[in-house]
Amino acid sequence: MNPTELIGPPSPLGYPAPYWFLVTFKVLGFTLHMGPMHVWFAGILIAMIAARWGSPEAHRWSARLMRQMPVIIALGVNFGIVPLLFTQVAYYRVFYPATILMAWPWFSIIILLTFAYYGVYIYASGVKEGAALTPFKRAAGWVSAILFIAIGFLFSNGFSLMTNLSAWPTLWQSTSVAGAPLGTALNTSDPTLLPRWLMMFGLALTTVAAYTVFDAGVLARRQSAEYRAWAGNFALQLYTVGLIWFALMGAWYTFGTWPTEVRARLFASPWIILTALTALAPGVPWLLILFQRRQVTQTLAILTGLAQFGVLALNAISRQVVQNLELSKFLDVTAEPVNLQLSPLVVFLILFIAGLGVVAWMIMSIKPKTTMNSPKSHSGASRR
Amino acid sequence: MHYPSWYVPLLTSPMLIAVIAILHVLVSHYAVGGGLFLAVETRYAYRTNNREYLAYLHDHAWFFILITVVYGAITGVGIWWTIGLASPLATEMLIHTFVFGWAMEYVFFVLEIVSAFIFFYYWGKLEPKTHQAIAWIYAFSAWMSLVLITGITAFMLNPGAWSENRNFWVGFFNPQFVPQVIARTGGALLLTSLYVYLHASLRVKGQALRDLIASRSTLPALIGAAAVTIGGIGWYVFLPESAKAALTVASSLNIFMTLIFALTIAVFVMLYLGPYRNPHWVSPGFALLLFGTGLMVFSAGEFVREAVRKPYIIYNVVYSNQILPEEVATLRQKGYLEGGTWTSAWVRTRYPNVVQSQQINEAQLLALPEPDQRELGKVLFQYHCSSCHATREGYSPVGQLVRGWTPEMIKALVENPEKFHFFMPPWAGTPEEAELLAKYLISIAPPRPGGMK
Repeated sequence: MNPTELIGPPSPLGYPAPYWFLVTFKVLGFTLHMGPMHVWFAGILIAMIAARWGSPEAHRWSARLMRQMPVIIALGVNFGIVPLLFTQVAYYRVFYPATILMAWPWFSIIILLTFAYYGVYIYASGVKEGAALTPFKRAAGWVSAILFIAIGFLFSNGFSLMTNLSAWPTLWQSTSVAGAPLGTALNTSDPTLLPRWLMMFGLALTTVAAYTVFDAGVLARRQSAEYRAWAGNFALQLYTVGLIWFALMGAWYTFGTWPTEVRARLFASPWIILTALTALAPGVPWLLILFQRRQVTQTLAILTGLAQFGVLALNAISRQVVQNLELSKFLDVTAEPVNLQLSPLVVFLILFIAGLGVVAWMIMSIKPKTTMNSPKSHSGASRR
Repeated sequence: MHYPSWYVPLLTSPMLIAVIAILHVLVSHYAVGGGLFLAVETRYAYRTNNREYLAYLHDHAWFFILITVVYGAITGVGIWWTIGLASPLATEMLIHTFVFGWAMEYVFFVLEIVSAFIFFYYWGKLEPKTHQAIAWIYAFSAWMSLVLITGITAFMLNPGAWSENRNFWVGFFNPQFVPQVIARTGGALLLTSLYVYLHASLRVKGQALRDLIASRSTLPALIGAAAVTIGGIGWYVFLPESAKAALTVASSLNIFMTLIFALTIAVFVMLYLGPYRNPHWVSPGFALLLFGTGLMVFSAGEFVREAVRKPYIIYNVVYSNQILPEEVATLRQKGYLEGGTWTSAWVRTRYPNVVQSQQINEAQLLALPEPDQRELGKVLFQYHCSSCHATREGYSPVGQLVRGWTPEMIKALVENPEKFHFFMPPWAGTPEEAELLAKYLISIAPPRPGGMK
């Protein structure tokens, strides 16, 4: 069966905005989502390991991160809505069939996320200076760490299946009743699945490291100099491990699983520049962290955060290019007619800018008082 | 038919939407009303310098965040997840029409999250004026979220003149918009008071403070109840004729409507006798009873709101079985199996001998062996009927619905479902395909129960 036979007709309504606009917001949203998502994807696991086997400074780092985690998750889930929204606008013809084929695993993300999120709250509510966690709360932290990694695996499944149309006919026919999918398929036969998932974990380790430096330099300024020095050194080690992991999995993904035509395109002009930048960019935050291995400074910490944001943005752009190249065999997502909704778009942009202004005002209003000093600011939560 | 039809045995996949949606609205309305409650009451507590009440509000804000930011946000995303899986064509239509409505709502959602965290985590660290301003930013943002989402959900029930010009604003400001915004705002106020009673009854030990909380939350509850009533009347007035008829004819909706009326009166009576006249009555048991009754009213209301749209998901735009009304005539001519993306691929793979000149030969379908004809009937059932019906057991099982019917009756039903029941979508296939579906239905229909005179 030709997989293109399984792509439905285009929407009679057309795109509500030009493709470039939709994909820009999709990539921007994914970049914003990736930051906090990385911190929970790899960070909770590292925090659990640090709390269980780490030094006193590692305990402190773990406690800080886990106290901040509820807010980080809220922001990450929130930012994740943007790429999901624009994916459904521009990629609906492949997104819906792929997720329906794996409907139950996809649906289970909501349930797993609920447990994982509450698990983090349970753990965070038990993290107090000098007090031992109860076994239940400790277990909640470990369960959350595992659930978030499992959720990452399911996301990798969904988005790799979205472009792996060649697998659709077999998956569909083996998991359906009279042509209607039971929704039990997983894209495990796709050679790109594992390296994608593991590569993301490696990149997530680097983001956790960059966030550690940012936290130590900007948010944890009331912490001792020893802690901040430890944080710089720890971040360097973590970033290095993440970088090596990312490089290895990236090489597996690029040279071991990409179709020849995709690789040829990404290693030829003009995409070679993007490919090279994506591969080399993590070196910048790594160098910045290297300079801070003995003492984290506020300026360099902010620069580290910005540099890591750049790494994530490049990664998101590259992923978008690869996604379109993989799909181009089956579908040209840029070819749909546009039925521009100008006035709603303008209203949205005005609200977007006004909203950013209000967020900036709110952040400014809390800045003079204190920074996000978790132990005190969470005292209300810790009491419970 | 543009997309694969997710088969969920017993329950049917759209029922998952109903489950998630009901679980979500019970919290999302609290997310709106609770924001207003915290803004108004924090202002009152600061103004009267009531430290004890402020401490309670801090405690309540933590409960509020745990419920709304975590559970409310995830179930909200969960609705997205589920509608895409169970009703992909309707979701496609909605998202291409209202993507900027959702994007606007997203801006307010960001403001909600940021202000909620600052409001709670910086409690006691901000100037009272700034703290109150943050609370009002949350309250306004949450209400705007309600307004924006209601424009879209109300559109599904009555798109008004949208079909004529497909204009965003015409669709958004549809006839159901104002009544539903009033009803949902009222619902948010009412439900929040019930959450407050329950939380306060469990957390506050001092009778004086508990009485204060009970009495201050009564007025919003009563205003909310009045708004729900006014909005509900408007909702009914602007219902399409078919939805009004569905309320009268569908027995399950009769029961739910009766439940809604009876339980709403019970909530009114309890509010009047309890928090209004006798604030000290608000014990954990009383608050739980009031809360449970309120949740039942809301759940029943949401179910009715979803159910009255039949046979549409979006009124006059998408049928409940994922077919566009304008596609029906073509499908009747060239065949549903041929016209459906996934059904066509299925037949071509499984029954290549019925494909001639790149088309499914409808006459050939009836020449297939009987088991194959029934199997193809089952394919038609999965794509044409399973959005609303289980097979033999489960939600509205079609086998039981045609129990004891003659083959002629079943065939007539298949060919004219909308004439048998106006809340069913029309048949969108050829007579040959109707024959196949009828054969399948006959095969799963149990005989007429024995022992009847």
